[in-house]
Order: sequence, then structure tokens, then C-alpha cells
Amino acid sequence: MSDATPQPKGPLGRFLALPTDSVPKTVFVAVMLCLVASMFVSAAAVALRPLQEVNKLIDKQVNILQVAGMYEPGVDVVEAFGVFEPQVLEIATGTFTDQFDAASFDDRAAASDPALSVALDDDPAGIGRQSKFVTVYLLRDDAGGIDKVIMPIHGYGLWSTLYGFIALEENGNDIFGLQFYQHGETPGLGAEIDNPRWKALWPGKRVADANGELQIHVAKAPNASGADYHIDALAGATLTSVGVNNLVQFWLGETGYASFLANLKSGDIS
Amino acid sequence: MGLRNFFDRVEPHFERGGKYEKYFPLYEMVESFLYTPKTVTTAAPHARSYIDMKRIMTYVVMATIPCILMGMYNIGFQVNTAIETLGATGWRVWVLETTGIGFNAANPMVNILHGALYFLPIYITTLVAGGIFEVIFATIRRHEVNEGFLVTSMLYALIMPPDAPLWQVALGIIFGVVIGKEVFGGTGKNFLNPALTGRAFLYFAYPQEMSGDTIWTPVDGFSGATSLAIAASDGYQEIVARGTTWMDSFLGFVQGSIGETSTLACFIGLAFLLTTRIANWRMIAGCLGGMIAFSTLLNLIGSDTNPMFAMPWYWHLVVGGYAFGLVFMVTEPVSGSHTNMGRFIYGALIGFMVVMIRVINPAFPEGMMLAILFGNVFAPLIDHFVVQANIRRRARRHV
Amino acid sequence: MSQTRRQMLIDPLVDNNPITLQVLGICSALAVTSSLQVAFVMSLAVTFVTAFSSMFISMLRNHIPGSIRIIVQMVIIASLVILVDQVLKAYAYEISKTLSVFVGLIITNCIVMGRAEAFAMKNPPVASFIDGIGNGLGYGLILMLVGFFRELFGAGSLFGITIFETVNNGGWYVPNGMLLLPPSAFFIIGLIIWAFRAWKPAQVEEREYKIQTVESH
Repeated sequence: MSDATPQPKGPLGRFLALPTDSVPKTVFVAVMLCLVASMFVSAAAVALRPLQEVNKLIDKQVNILQVAGMYEPGVDVVEAFGVFEPQVLEIATGTFTDQFDAASFDDRAAASDPALSVALDDDPAGIGRQSKFVTVYLLRDDAGGIDKVIMPIHGYGLWSTLYGFIALEENGNDIFGLQFYQHGETPGLGAEIDNPRWKALWPGKRVADANGELQIHVAKAPNASGADYHIDALAGATLTSVGVNNLVQFWLGETGYASFLANLKSGDIS
Repeated sequence: MGLRNFFDRVEPHFERGGKYEKYFPLYEMVESFLYTPKTVTTAAPHARSYIDMKRIMTYVVMATIPCILMGMYNIGFQVNTAIETLGATGWRVWVLETTGIGFNAANPMVNILHGALYFLPIYITTLVAGGIFEVIFATIRRHEVNEGFLVTSMLYALIMPPDAPLWQVALGIIFGVVIGKEVFGGTGKNFLNPALTGRAFLYFAYPQEMSGDTIWTPVDGFSGATSLAIAASDGYQEIVARGTTWMDSFLGFVQGSIGETSTLACFIGLAFLLTTRIANWRMIAGCLGGMIAFSTLLNLIGSDTNPMFAMPWYWHLVVGGYAFGLVFMVTEPVSGSHTNMGRFIYGALIGFMVVMIRVINPAFPEGMMLAILFGNVFAPLIDHFVVQANIRRRARRHV
Repeated sequence: MSQTRRQMLIDPLVDNNPITLQVLGICSALAVTSSLQVAFVMSLAVTFVTAFSSMFISMLRNHIPGSIRIIVQMVIIASLVILVDQVLKAYAYEISKTLSVFVGLIITNCIVMGRAEAFAMKNPPVASFIDGIGNGLGYGLILMLVGFFRELFGAGSLFGITIFETVNNGGWYVPNGMLLLPPSAFFIIGLIIWAFRAWKPAQVEEREYKIQTVESH
């Protein structure tokens, strides 16, 4: 400091003029900095929270709209999503339950809650624990009957757990679409599950045959059940395809939505 | 010798200060291709040997001849067999029909000629594309075009799938030559095997054309998984169940890259390389030992969910690129370890890694390429520790 | 001041680039460059954090005790990073999802700390701010270059707009899958360093050893 430095004024000024490395000043700087920084950070977090919540919700809704074939860029997501009716489904009975609020029920949190989930012994989808309850989305036609149902599915591929939705027609057997919204598969191979051309193979396929046997399969060539139940495996991505096959069979079979789909077919649920 | 006189007459033009100074590497390439190189060592230590760089490289190319022949025979055999049921299209059909060779799968000559129509375009593309980049770098960097490229290009062509698109073949060898070798200063300074670098680039860049079930026999509608892919999904017993015996695998009548299907052909090449002392037996021993030890260990551990655990070592030996890699890639002197102890460790590391990748990694059924590149990266480190250990041992002796 | 403000801004672009010359901030350069849009947002975020953290640290530089100086720098940087992360989550959710942890990891980006410690602790606020902008831009330039090659040849598009129609969508271009994998950025950064050093030979480091000539003709 040169001679020209003015004499510090007031208690704060005198304090700041203390040698920088003195203990009181070190403590003072540390405390002040933490105080200012934490106020700054929490202010930002609190002020932006509502916007972030909306974003998270919209993100999930966009995925549901996409699998229902109703999404176009620029569409008002919240409004478009209004037509869906969320319901919490009890997987074992295949019926809707009122125990939870459908709008805020968190499937993924439920899957790790011991009270709401079961550990799987036979676990072809590689998910470890399965939630007893999931949120499904219903799309109703003008007359009020069910037009489509959209159900969450997930399971292990090659590197990562794939999270997605599958949409079925009101008969509970015709597939309307399938979409994964989160995965970490190899770009160019397994990640081609996002490719619109591959996704376009799903609509129109059937889940079970006339006897009610689960027949849907993802494989290189159709098995005995025929092309109506067969989706081409991804070229060069054997293990991701096997993963998709397992998880779709797991969720649409006895371990998953079978009783719900049966209720849907018989008209017990409307 | 008129030609020798011609070379002696034009040589001054290419030397420093001459008219075509810039093109010396080109002149040197042609000259040393035809005659013994005139390069002499100027700095100590001096060692005299009949083996020079040119001879080493030529011997390695000669050692690949059984693989080339068996490879062409096998492709022709596979394609001709598939054609009997599926029919054929493409320019090769036109060539074979016009020349009257036909598609008789029972006739070895017919098979070899048909196979050549797959191998030669790939090989020529490799030579031209890689050669251009060799010459560019040689000219700019003022080093010679080395015979090593003949080896690189041959090995590279032999590890291509027969149906590889030629532009990808070209891209791969360019990547191998430039990134695998030239950026580090050219032949002798590369720490990775250039042929494998190019192959690995293609493997990750264009996996659909480099792996799968439909690329090994280029006939429309044909699908045949490699033995490794079958073993990975259903266990090695399934290979036999689908009609491929161990002997078929050993002789090379299976799905696979051009030159690597026949273990027998690779071993003929190995015998030649070992007799001429081009290949170092320590690397081979290490690599075999590592593979046999680790695969046997996995056999003993066993696994309910992963059928590859049960695959015995003699199957590991004959499926995939193990034998080819063992003979021609592991033994590559530049990218491998340079100390004798290091060579054992280097070989064993590769043998261990290949089983590790084949059995435990879910994504890659074939592990030889990645295992060797992995070994290449570790080779200098292995040498370092071997040398350090030696220094410590000798220092102790003098206390 | 040894440098003019203009130099401070221009120098880190090529002559003293944080990535290609100082080889800092490589981790995020590998992770977020598979598409240009993401690389662009990341560049902006890093530029913002570097500039403002340098400025704040420079304003406090005469009062920061040496014993806790790194912690003080970290607190300032971390607060700014959290701010950026929160803003992205609120206003650019899609991109923040792709960037995931890498926004948070700006805290550990060596460029930010490096400028704080090397420049902002010794220079006045405005100069520090400009220096921060310059280094952020230098980082951004490389990120954008890498992102350009990776997205164009890996996915056939730029900023998500299709340039080459890929085979899977019915076009002619076979995308290079390796470029979508993070390690490919190593190759591209290496090639960029090569190009820069061919252009500016002054950047070439001196060899630590001498290769003996052992052969002659």
C-alpha cells in the first residue's frame, strides 16, 4: 500500500484494513462469503423452482403425448395433455385404486419403497424391484369409453435401464406405439430404439394370440406365432434387442399388466 | 544389369540438391523394393545380420500366404454354397459366368477364384488408399516409404469382412496409417498396430457393416452368425449343434473375416515365422499361456447365466480372430514389448484380456482386436518395470 | 498492464488457447460435444462462469486471506455454477437434461480455477472479466469445432438440422458411429492441436530428448 492510501473510515473500513492474513479477518471473510453465496444460491433456487417443476412435468407429458402419436413441436403440452386421464393401477389385481393421488404418484419412488414394491426373484427385465402400483394414462373417445391406454415399462438393455411407455388400443391387445424416453445405449446401434423407422414397426402388432398366450417378441426372425407378433431386432444390437424383448414380455405378461389387459378386454374397466 | 545402371544414373537427381530432391522417398521406395536397401548403420552399437527391415517385412507377407489362400477358398466356398439356395446377383456373377468358371462349391479352384473376387478389391483399395497417404507423409516428413506398409496393408485386408464397403476399407486404412503410425513418426515409432487401429476405427464407426450375422457371407438374404456370436448367446456346444465341428473351425470353414477363419493356415505361417526367428516365441507362449490359464479358470468358476464361461481353451483357440491375431499381430515387434521378460508378460496380458472381453464383456463377442490394442498400450509400461526390476536386482548384487 | 484488453480477448482463442495449448478442461470437451447445440450452451455457461468468477474474485482479491484463498475461489465459482444450473433447468430443460452433471462439473473445470488463481488474484476486476470472457471463448471455440465435426459426420446434422440425410432415414450418408462416442473427441482435439501447431510453430514444445541418427544412405 502506498502513502496515498486514505485512512480507513468507520468500523467496517477499519476491519477491512486489517492485515489480510490475520485470524479475525480470515474468519470474517469466510463467514461473509458463505453468507452471501448461500443467500444468492438459495434465492435463485427458490425463485426458479416453480418453473423447473413445470419443465419436469412437461417433459414427462411430452413423452406420453409422443407415444400416443399426439405430439408435434410447438403444441401446447399442458393443454394437449389435459385429455389424458391418469390412474394409479394396482398391478396384481389389474384395477385402479384411489389410495394415491394419480397426478402426483411417483412410480420410480414407489419401486424403491419396500412397502409399495416387491423384490423380484425371476427378473428377466433386470429391474430388481417392481412397484405394486404404477401410473397409467387413459385416453377416452368422444363417447367416454376408453380409446387407448398408455402404460410405463422399463428394463435393462445392454448398458442401461430403458424407461419408456407402451400404448395399446382399447381391446388391450393391439399395440399403438412404443417409446423410450431415457436410456444410455450405444449410439448408432442400441440407441436406434429411438429411430422413428424402428418405432414405426410397433403399431398394429398384437400382444397375445386368440388363446390369450403372450406372443409378442422382438427377434431377428418371426417365431412360430407369425409376423403379427414379431418386431424386427435392431441390426447389430443383439443385446439391446434382447433387453427390449424381455422387458416388453415381462410387462405385458403375467408378471406385469396381464390382469389389467384382461379386465380391459372383458370390459370390467371403463 | 541394365536396371541397376538406370537407378545409379538417376539417383543423383533425387539426392540432396538434386532436381527431384522432394521425391527421394518415392525413388527410394521403388529402388529398395527391387534391390537390397543401401542403408547402413552409422552409430554404435553395430550388429551384423542378414536380416534387414526389408527381409523381415517380406517374410511376414510370405507367412500370410496360407491365410490368403485359405481365406479366399473359404469365402468362395461359403458364397457358392449359399448361392445354391439363395441365387446370386452382382458384378461377380457376371464375371464368373462370362469366364465360364461357374459356382461349383465342390471345386476348390472355383472357390478360390470366387473368393479372390472379394479379396482382391479390398486388398487393392487398401494398397492404393493407404499407399497414397504413406507417400504424402514420406514426402513431407522426408522419411522413406517403408516395406512395413506391405505388411500392414496385407494384414489389414485379411481382417476385413468379405463384404466390407470399399470406401470404408479406404477410410479405415487411412486412419490406421495416419493416426496409428504417421503422427507418431512413421514405421518403428508407432505404439499401436496400424492395421488393428484401422480395423478398430471401422468397428466403432460403422458397426453395422463390421459386425453382425449378414456380413460374413455376402449373399443377399444369407444370415450366419460367427461361432463366437453363437457361443455368446447359446453356449459353445451350440456351435457343434449347428453343424460346425471343431475341425471345421480349425481348418477354417466358418463365418468370419477373410483371413482369420483358418487356425491351421495361421499356424503354418507361425511355423515359418518361428523358423526364421521373425516372430518371438516368448510372445506366443505368453499369449497362449494367458488364454489357456484364464479360460480354464473361468471353466472352473462356471456361471448359470453366461454360457461363455464354459467355453474351453481349445475352442477359444479356433474361433474368431485369436489364431490370426496371435501369429501376426501379437508378434509385431514394434508395438509389443522389447524385453524378453516383458514379452512373456505382454503376451499373457493379451491372452488374459481376450478371454476377459469375449466372456465377460456383454457387448463385444470378439475380443482379440481390442485385447491386442490394449496390450500395445501397456507394452512400454511393462518394459519400464522389467528394466527397473533388472536395475534393482543388479544394484543389490553390488552392495 | 502488459497486455491490451484486445489482446486479452483474442489471445486465448488460438495463441494461448486453454484447451489446445494448456490442455485444460478436456473432460467436458469430450462429454458434451456430440451435438453443436449442447456444445454451444456449455460454452456460454463456461464463459459466463469464468468471466464473473474472475471479476468477483478480482474485486475481493485484496481481502482474500492466502490460507483460505482456494476455498474462497471455489465458493464463488460454485455459487455461479449452481446459478447457471438452476437457470438452465428453468429455461432450457431439454439441454440441461443432455448436459446433466456436466454443468455441475464446471466447478472442477481447470480453466475457471486456473484463470482465478493465475490472473484474477493479481489483476483489477475489468481486466479479469475480459480475461475470463477471452478464455471462455477460447474454450468455446474448440468445443464448437469439435462439436461441428462430431455432429456433422456422426449424425449428419448441424444444430439438429439435417445436412446429410442418413441411411437410416432413407438418405445416402452412413453416419460414423465412433464420432458419437466420447473418446472420438480425443482424436479431434489432437488433430486440432496438430493443425494449430502447424499454423503457429511457436506452440510446438521442445523435445526433452534427442533422436540420434543411426542410418544413412
